[in-house]
Amino acid sequence: MTSITLRSLRKEYNGQVAIPNLDLDIHDGEFFTLLGPSGCGKTTLLRMIAGFNSIEAGTISFDDVVINDRSPAARNIGMVFQSYALFPQMTAAKNVAFGLQTRNIERAESIRRVEAALESVHMAHLKDRLPGEMSGGQQQRVALARALVIQPAVLLMDEPLSNLDAKLRVEMRDTIREAQREAGITTVYVTHDQEEAMAVSDRIAVMSMGVVQQVGSPAEIYRNPANRFVAEFIGKTNLIVRDLHQRDGVTTLDLGEGVSVDVTSTIAPGVSGRVQVSVRPEAVRAGGSGLQAEVVEETFLGSHSQIRARLSTGETIEFLEFSRRASLWERGEKVVLQLDTEMLTYFDAETGASIMQGAKL
Amino acid sequence: MPRFNFWTVVMILTWVMLFVLLFIPVGSVLVSSLYDQSGNPTIANYLKFLGEPRFHQAFINTLVVGFGGLIGALLLGSIMAFCVSRFVIGGGRFVSLLAILALVSPPFIGAYSWIVLFGAGGVVRGFLRDMGVNMPPIYGVGGILIVFSLKFYPYVYLMVSGALSNVNRSLEEAAEGLGLTPLQRTFKISFPMVFPALTAGGLLALIHAIADFGTPRLLGRGYNVLATEAFTLYSAEVGSNMSMATTISVVLILVSMVFVLLQRYMSRRNVYHGNMINKPVRIKLKGWRNVLAHVAVYFIGLSGAMPVIISVIYSFRKTSGPVFQSGFALQSYERILFNLGDVVRNSLTFSLTAVALIVIVGTVVGVLVARRTNFNTALLDGAFMVPYVMPGIVIGIAFIAAFNTGPIVLTGTATIIILSVFIRRLPYTVRTTASSLRQISPSMEEAAISLGYSPFQAFLRITVPLIVPGIIAGGMLSFVTAINELSSSLVLYVGSTMTMPVRIYLLILDGDFGTAAALSTVLLVLSGGAVYIAFRFMGRNEQALL
Ligand SMILES: Nc1ncnc2c1ncn2[C@@H]1O[C@H](COP(=O)(O)OP(=O)(O)OP(=O)(O)O)[C@@H](O)[C@H]1O
Ligand SMILES: [Mg+2]
Repeated sequence: MTSITLRSLRKEYNGQVAIPNLDLDIHDGEFFTLLGPSGCGKTTLLRMIAGFNSIEAGTISFDDVVINDRSPAARNIGMVFQSYALFPQMTAAKNVAFGLQTRNIERAESIRRVEAALESVHMAHLKDRLPGEMSGGQQQRVALARALVIQPAVLLMDEPLSNLDAKLRVEMRDTIREAQREAGITTVYVTHDQEEAMAVSDRIAVMSMGVVQQVGSPAEIYRNPANRFVAEFIGKTNLIVRDLHQRDGVTTLDLGEGVSVDVTSTIAPGVSGRVQVSVRPEAVRAGGSGLQAEVVEETFLGSHSQIRARLSTGETIEFLEFSRRASLWERGEKVVLQLDTEMLTYFDAETGASIMQGAKL
Repeated sequence: MPRFNFWTVVMILTWVMLFVLLFIPVGSVLVSSLYDQSGNPTIANYLKFLGEPRFHQAFINTLVVGFGGLIGALLLGSIMAFCVSRFVIGGGRFVSLLAILALVSPPFIGAYSWIVLFGAGGVVRGFLRDMGVNMPPIYGVGGILIVFSLKFYPYVYLMVSGALSNVNRSLEEAAEGLGLTPLQRTFKISFPMVFPALTAGGLLALIHAIADFGTPRLLGRGYNVLATEAFTLYSAEVGSNMSMATTISVVLILVSMVFVLLQRYMSRRNVYHGNMINKPVRIKLKGWRNVLAHVAVYFIGLSGAMPVIISVIYSFRKTSGPVFQSGFALQSYERILFNLGDVVRNSLTFSLTAVALIVIVGTVVGVLVARRTNFNTALLDGAFMVPYVMPGIVIGIAFIAAFNTGPIVLTGTATIIILSVFIRRLPYTVRTTASSLRQISPSMEEAAISLGYSPFQAFLRITVPLIVPGIIAGGMLSFVTAINELSSSLVLYVGSTMTMPVRIYLLILDGDFGTAAALSTVLLVLSGGAVYIAFRFMGRNEQALL
């Protein structure tokens, strides 16, 4: 069991800064995900933890022991690569056994562990296949077994599922999650797929341009995004700009058309003026009383439909509706949108930082 | 870090090696061409080259045989490639084998076989004369061009058939959909796509043609090219003119360099557009078209392989001294066994030593070039281009110029022959090793490192097993070039370091074709065996012979 501590970490590629200054605490045994758009530095950071990238400044510690100068081989890590990186000349079982060979483990014990590892990823029946004779999903399972069998202190995975098709991805992420729980290994997982991140992670660090934007559980970062970037990157949201009004110690948000919300207890004290309001699709319901809008387009997606409507201010709101038997919305049809004000979040109109109570201002 | 030191040492040693084996010899050639016989600096040699009609002629002749060889090889090679890749040709694999035979056949044995058939006393020519048909003997520029066309067409054939069979058929179908006639399709769609392959193959033929020494020597009869002039000037018993020989060498290097650069440019453009999903299908021709296609393909294939066939047959003919008798016997082979054992042994030991060196050094340097990009490997890569532009005869003369006197004296040793073969073939191994390494994902080694292996162990246990088959195959192909090497050895040999190709050359000059044919057959068997082993290791891949 190992915790990972990153302090003031800096990474440059030939003078180009990829990660300026990063702090992160990854707890013992947790499934921790680095999430962010392409090029934000997830791989870079993961490879620094693995020891494949140089560190320009700062420290990486495992269990409070600085390991900056430890070679990757001495860090006791298990690694799963996007490209599987199975050794093509070895069978599944030999691939898995490869890491045990340097560890002076008895033959019988080694065989037992290889079989258990392959069993845990449901690959025992294909142990004599060569990688070339396996599907992508099967190869990735073997790669996972190979990383787990050495009982590493830390398991590192860089987009292990991105070469698989959508259905297999869902299946595999359950396998990964299951295997990780069973072994209780501290895991750092890289992905740019927010849904995948939500599904597997204990905690997620959302990154952008080498900077950690927010760290938290999936529910925390979804419900209480630290800034506009996180709100937009995690799930879908509608952003509209509105004004705050203060009178007699009561702060109200004027949504327009006579609809206003008392935000005194939700918004941090002392904030005033223009704010950005994040309206999640599930906070919007058609019907009742609320804002007037006009349907622009409906996209039928099977179990539900996604409807785009335009407010009288010209702003667009997207929301979801479970499929009905009745006919679809017509283009141009009038609709009243009722907002669940409990679910709204607020950002500074300029900086995009959260202005919710409890947010770090 | 020890790793850093190891590669730094490799880097330094590589540069030292290049310096000693390449830059000093090339530099010596340049320097020597700028001095007169008594050691005074001068540009008189170049003035003489520009002034003397004899050298003008050789220069022009070189271009003539170069472009003639290019045209002939293009003609034969593209006809064959087109037929084989677009039509169903019975025994297609056999045809490819014929092309390989032409490619690996011992040098200039071709020329002599054609003399046997069509020379002044040629068998076929004599037969035709009896029939009342009088044809001129094959000597002179015409003969050289015929031999070059037949010897070098496989370069074009292999390049173009590779490109043709990878042209995406969808493109031609799209053109058909747009209403283009078959002829328009061929010229507007297919031709532009194989054009780089055509030119690259043709230029390869040209490069080999201008470097070839044996063919013009035997068939030219006064038709001199730069390669033969350089050799004549160097080897003349009386009045050997080293500085003039080196001047011609410099000119030859420059000419060769132009075409090598052009060839590499075209090769780089020769990327196959096919996504392999919609490969072209071969059409089964009917009637006279079918006959015509078969005749064309087999005529070219058999003509190209004719020298090999002739020398195998003649090696078994009964002889009395150098004169052939009717009937068959193993006399020629007996002569090899009893009199020429040392020549065969020389060839084998020199080639195997050179190949061992090439494989070891080439692999290490290939790794350096592929993996240590932080060093100045681009420069190194460039330096390895130099041997490509050096015709064998020039390498020979350069080695003599560099190692005859001074701190390192190697003339007359086996070492100098081995090193000349080594430096010429090294770039191929470096390049193939580097490119096969680049194809192996680095995450494979990283996976091994993450499992607890040191970087060196990871390289040894994961990467090396993956590239070894390619290295063995490359070594075998290097062996083929090494054991067939004539032109540099001819300059560098002394009595005790004579090799098979040199001996064959001398035997032919002596008129002892029986023994020459038998020695050639031995060479051919060794080369064929090596090619076979190479194909076993990397799959049948004729492209690798280029
Ligand atoms: N070897 C390298 N040399 C120079 N720059 C690099 C190198 N590797 C990454 N970078 C740069 O560092 C930044 C972060 O790259 P990184 O690979 O970590 O992104 P990522 O978050 O993993 O993206 P993706 O989701 O596309 O994999 C990018 O701007 C990239 O261009
Ligand atoms: Mg990445």
